[in-house]
Amino acid sequence: MILNVNNITKKYNHIDGVVDALNNVSFQVDKGDFVTITGSSGSGKTTLLLSLAGLIKITSGEIYFNDFRVDLASDKKLSEYRKNNIGFVMQSFALVPYLTAMENVLLPLVITNHHSKSDKYTKASELLNLVGLFNRRNHLPKELSAGQQQRVAIARSLVNNPSIIFADEPTGNLDPALSVDILNLLKNINVDNKVTMLMVTHSPQAAEYGNKIIKLSDGHLIS
Amino acid sequence: MNINKLVWHEFKQHKSQLTSGLLAITLGVAVIVGIRSVSVVSEKAVAVNLDNLGANILVLPQGSNVDNYYSADIDAPTFPEEYVERIASSTIAGVDNMSPKLTRRIMVNNQKIVLTGILPKNELASKPIWQNSGLFGSQLQASCGPSPSNQTLGYKDEKLQRKSIDSISSDDCLVGYSAARLLNLKEGDKTTIEGKLFNVVKILPETGTIDDDRIFAHLHTVQNLLGIKSQVSAIEIMGCCNAISEGLLSKLRNILPDTKVTTIGQIVTTQIQTNKMMNKVSYIFLIIIVFVGGISIGNFMWANINERKKEIGMLRMIGFSKIVIYRMLLTKALLLGIIGGIIGYVLGTLAGVWLGPQLANLSVNPIPGLIGLSLLISVSVSIIGSLIPAYLAGKIEPFSNMQEA
Repeated sequence: MILNVNNITKKYNHIDGVVDALNNVSFQVDKGDFVTITGSSGSGKTTLLLSLAGLIKITSGEIYFNDFRVDLASDKKLSEYRKNNIGFVMQSFALVPYLTAMENVLLPLVITNHHSKSDKYTKASELLNLVGLFNRRNHLPKELSAGQQQRVAIARSLVNNPSIIFADEPTGNLDPALSVDILNLLKNINVDNKVTMLMVTHSPQAAEYGNKIIKLSDGHLIS
Repeated sequence: MNINKLVWHEFKQHKSQLTSGLLAITLGVAVIVGIRSVSVVSEKAVAVNLDNLGANILVLPQGSNVDNYYSADIDAPTFPEEYVERIASSTIAGVDNMSPKLTRRIMVNNQKIVLTGILPKNELASKPIWQNSGLFGSQLQASCGPSPSNQTLGYKDEKLQRKSIDSISSDDCLVGYSAARLLNLKEGDKTTIEGKLFNVVKILPETGTIDDDRIFAHLHTVQNLLGIKSQVSAIEIMGCCNAISEGLLSKLRNILPDTKVTTIGQIVTTQIQTNKMMNKVSYIFLIIIVFVGGISIGNFMWANINERKKEIGMLRMIGFSKIVIYRMLLTKALLLGIIGGIIGYVLGTLAGVWLGPQLANLSVNPIPGLIGLSLLISVSVSIIGSLIPAYLAGKIEPFSNMQEA
């Protein structure tokens, strides 16, 4: 088991009162799983993903990544946790506009010391090859299509050899054909590279890519 | 790729923002460098001019009349010549030259003349107008102008120079311009003073002061003639104006308690005020640059951070710690400071070199040492101005990218 989520609750204070974004949610994720989190808009999908990544503090409950207690960790420990264990794929691609595809892929390695310069470039080149964009390595994001930008983002999410990838609506900005393309790529990475995948999606078709599907409604886990 | 390269990439992206951010700091540094370039030369020129007016401190016995500075030593009470050695062997800085003298009114060929015993080399140093006549060696250096060996305080402190004495023969005398005309003396003549025969080795050029009425002979000869052994009636001192403003007079009074230490107020005051004004202007601009430059850089950094909120959030998301974010932004501030300092130094130097001859009639040369000051000011202002924006950038939530198209 790579992730263990026990009775987590997240409450937001709102002008209209307290909002329960997550309510006693519990589940486990095993290494190599492809977990999709689905639900309607406002059901708590993204809040759940943010909580698991240590990007927001939960109100109560426990989150374990292997033996690491995510919900109690300091900001510094959480930065280390994300740097060493997690890859992120965002709906908005989140690429740095003034860096080339190669430089964007290299970005997570800027803050790591355990790779030589040539190792870093070799690794980034391999990943750009994997996503079919090595020939575009010197292009800026604005010179790439939306699908290509998401492929660069996927390559970047893999460069630090993560145990788990958190993908938040990775096909949200893509047309159906490109969406299938990206979902297949994520699935291949999950199978071939043995990387655990946790993907938030509101698309039932995309949700079918997971071997485990978590459905949320109003902050409650319904299946 | 590393953090510095990342910062450099980002730096190049915002050239117009960068220009406006750099403008205030660059102009501020340029103004400071320009003023300093001109003022260093100006201080030196003022010092040379003022030094040419002669000694600016007079040590007299207590109770002396100082109504007329230039004649205060005439017939004054006396005090021990040993005081010269006392000053020379003290640790007091800023005494560039001393000239002990013993002066009395005497009759020569039935004419009233002022006989002054001097220690020649010292007397020379305190009367630059004589040096220019070619009577003695080379011209003195300005005592208050910044020198390569002591830029900060601007004065020399060489005891050897103070002690360089005895080069006039006991049978020789120098005759002032008016005295020579009165006694009808010319160079090479002999004259009897107080029963002793003297060779007239030089007729001094006209100075327009009481010195024109004097006959100068060796101090020890005059002491013997007048029967006032090992006593002097005054010590003229060429003191550095900076040292005077830093309390040279009171230091002299401390080691010479039974004397009256006075200055030529106008000369010293002018010199001190000129230097102080130059420094004040520099400080005013320094304060302005700290405020305006700091706010300008801070504003630029804050605008830049706001524009890059998503990017910084993404960096935090993939594991960049707050410390790394601070480092990135402060590296950028450092880069801004270095560029601003260098450009400011170049602009300021060019302005100084161009404006110096036009505004102050001075030839201004670039001062390489000011590049360090420029960088220090520019980098400090840039980093100080960036501290708050950097701190706030560290607080940007890492999830600001989630679900944003």
